[in-house]
Amino acid sequence: MLEPLYRWIWHHPGRRARKLFSFAAVEADGGRDLVRAAELTRDPLLRRLYLAHASDECRHAGLFHDRGVELLRDNPAANKGSVFQAEWLAPGERGLDDLRVEREGDGALLAFLHLSEKAAARSFALYRNALPDDPATRSVFEKVLRDEEFHMKYTRAQLSRIEPERQRVLIWRARLGRLWKGYLRLAMALAGAISGVILTLLYFIVLPPFALLAKRAMRREPQGWTAIPIVQGGAPGKRSQP
Amino acid sequence: MNILGISAHYHDSAAALLIDGLPIAAVQEERISRRKNDSAFPIGAIEWCLGHAGLEPDALDAIVFYERPMLKFDRVLTGLLGSFPHSRRAFAHAMKNLLGEKLWMRGIISSELGVRGSKVLFTEHHQAHAAAAFLTAPTDKAAILTADGVGEWATLTVGQGERRTGGPTTITLRREIRFPHSLGMLYSTFTAYLGFAVNEGEYKVMGLAAYGQPNMVDKVWRTIRRTPDGAFALDLDYFEFHSTTARSYSKRFVDLFGPSRRPSDPINFDTAEGRRFADIAASVQRVLEDILVDMARVLHEETRLPDLCLGGGVALNGVANARILRESGFERLFVPPAPGDAGCALGAALYADRVSFGNPDRDFPDHPFWGPSIDESDLVRLAGEDGLAAELSDDRRLIEMTADDIAAGHIVGWMDGALELGPRALGHRSILAAPHSTAIRDRLNRDIKYREEFRPFAPVVPIEEADRFFELPPGGDRLARFMSGVFPVRQEWRAQLAGITHVDGTARLQALPREMAPRLHALLGAYGRRSGIPVLLNTSFNLSGEPIVNGVVEGYSTFRRSGIDILIAGQNRLAKRRARSDAGEEQAA
Repeated sequence: MLEPLYRWIWHHPGRRARKLFSFAAVEADGGRDLVRAAELTRDPLLRRLYLAHASDECRHAGLFHDRGVELLRDNPAANKGSVFQAEWLAPGERGLDDLRVEREGDGALLAFLHLSEKAAARSFALYRNALPDDPATRSVFEKVLRDEEFHMKYTRAQLSRIEPERQRVLIWRARLGRLWKGYLRLAMALAGAISGVILTLLYFIVLPPFALLAKRAMRREPQGWTAIPIVQGGAPGKRSQP
Repeated sequence: MNILGISAHYHDSAAALLIDGLPIAAVQEERISRRKNDSAFPIGAIEWCLGHAGLEPDALDAIVFYERPMLKFDRVLTGLLGSFPHSRRAFAHAMKNLLGEKLWMRGIISSELGVRGSKVLFTEHHQAHAAAAFLTAPTDKAAILTADGVGEWATLTVGQGERRTGGPTTITLRREIRFPHSLGMLYSTFTAYLGFAVNEGEYKVMGLAAYGQPNMVDKVWRTIRRTPDGAFALDLDYFEFHSTTARSYSKRFVDLFGPSRRPSDPINFDTAEGRRFADIAASVQRVLEDILVDMARVLHEETRLPDLCLGGGVALNGVANARILRESGFERLFVPPAPGDAGCALGAALYADRVSFGNPDRDFPDHPFWGPSIDESDLVRLAGEDGLAAELSDDRRLIEMTADDIAAGHIVGWMDGALELGPRALGHRSILAAPHSTAIRDRLNRDIKYREEFRPFAPVVPIEEADRFFELPPGGDRLARFMSGVFPVRQEWRAQLAGITHVDGTARLQALPREMAPRLHALLGAYGRRSGIPVLLNTSFNLSGEPIVNGVVEGYSTFRRSGIDILIAGQNRLAKRRARSDAGEEQAA
């Protein structure tokens, strides 16, 4: 149902390149978080798997980045001017979504990773299908998708291994956690928009007289050195005291 | 007195603890949180500092923040109002940012640590820089110059400091240049224009400059001019950092220098565009140096002191530092290992202790190792779990083996003792390699550091041998102690030191005294006995986008993920071989 929307979003080469760059940044961040998870876990097998996963994320970042560079190189005009980025309509992987790795146990982390990889795989499959005329970018998504599939499987299998009793609970908890984070993102965006409107109104309604004063003060501000007041015997002035 | 210094919320947050005037612990938050350039409130760093000293927050007599939030707010608001109505977006952004958290530091510190608000004190940003530069340097009386992007209002200050062991301390900053006129912001604007990340890519501009010719100096001088009193002023028509958050340079700037570089574009010196970017970098570097050298020269004429202490992020520019030493008239130039904002945590604590509370001066230990120490048993455990065997050796044997490894072309991850404070690996968290060929440099760039080819690698050399390989001016060995100066490699050694010689024949060397890092010093000696050249390539122990490693777990994971061949942690040595195949792991999964 969303395919026409995705086709539109991915049609513009400049937007396509910038989305790939942002995916690259998220993959690289996610990779670093996984490295941290590997450093913190006491389970040797998980450590190796996290490191392998991190290495995949790093490779994905490179794939996305390089394809973005190619797109801009082949379409120099695409980089000019600002283009609507449609971040909300076509998000990439969210990495660990601000999950503080050091505060989570392996079970919670695996459950979260499993769902995260699943959601990313779903999105990337949709984006791949929205790019019938760009085989090179399709191929990038296909390569990434293959890895995501493995990541989904290993996280689920490891969750079963280390938390056989609580795996379903952990998955549900992770699902609720993702929902909560989604709500927080929405709430933050709304709060940001509302505060932005209020501050902009304040800026234009209340601040103009102060702006005049500030401009006048700035004109009077001498350029060059400003002496720092010194009081008694070279000790710093009043404003210098903690 | 127990005094905690804190820097936070701009970039590179950190904490430092003084007990009775002496530093006990200092660490950047990024080394604990593992997020590069972490600017968040440094709760991890604070907890580590207090834990290391065995103190509870209640036992602190003062907590000193490295700047005055209200003064900063005043500057931001005035600047935004002054550029009305172009600053509408920046206004909303800045107000959300400042009013959300940064303005309420007393309350935040008080609630995070559970201490009374009256214990929370503030220094001015440049006082913290000045204290970090002067009170950590082995000098009783020195001129002080601090320069960075901006603190509250000041962007550059000059003054002098005086102290006597066991006696009083004064730090007198005489005059300042105020925002928006800023050498740091000038350099950062060019950093952004050249497609590098601000507060991170300034090193790259300095490295790039060596590939170019300063043939656009006249153009740079159109963006900044000297004022009749010897200061400088930016022509704000070329800049937007004071009025928008979108970008720091204006359309007029682009008209003057041409299109900016996209961060994703490689720099190719075979193209006219690549050479243009290098020439621009060389030109802004030259202008920065000329201004700093001239200001230092005037300061020397005023104070007639032999020593200059340099602080602030601009003091990380080793090329400029070397020129200041050569041309300003000062005999010695002291740059602390963390001259940027991280060092302000230490500077703020020192300023409060010596100046505000008037406590007697104490000699400051002349090394940068104030962070967490390694736990060697971690390496034995981690390696064992991965089917590898770490080898425990006595010091002498380990150093001989490591010298053999390096001579055989291996790349060594070196962890020893406590972590450095500051952005540079100064011998306790280093990647070491033979310095002789460009092949090893290319391998480091390709397999380990994953970074631009034009960035040079630094050498480390015993201080007593430094002059043999490098052209050091008088006082150069001191400046090179913490890798703060860039000096020419002697012509006759350049071919044999190709891995660390930059394209312009220079290197940002570390001249290492034995007492600062005895094991690395011994390793240099052992390597020298094999190769005839006691010099090693020394780069920070981290991968691209990551902070320098802290504990053994981070060193081990870096070792596993990169082309490092050997890992040394204290007296343990681990050589690489593939532990298990990836296929095996997938099967196991």
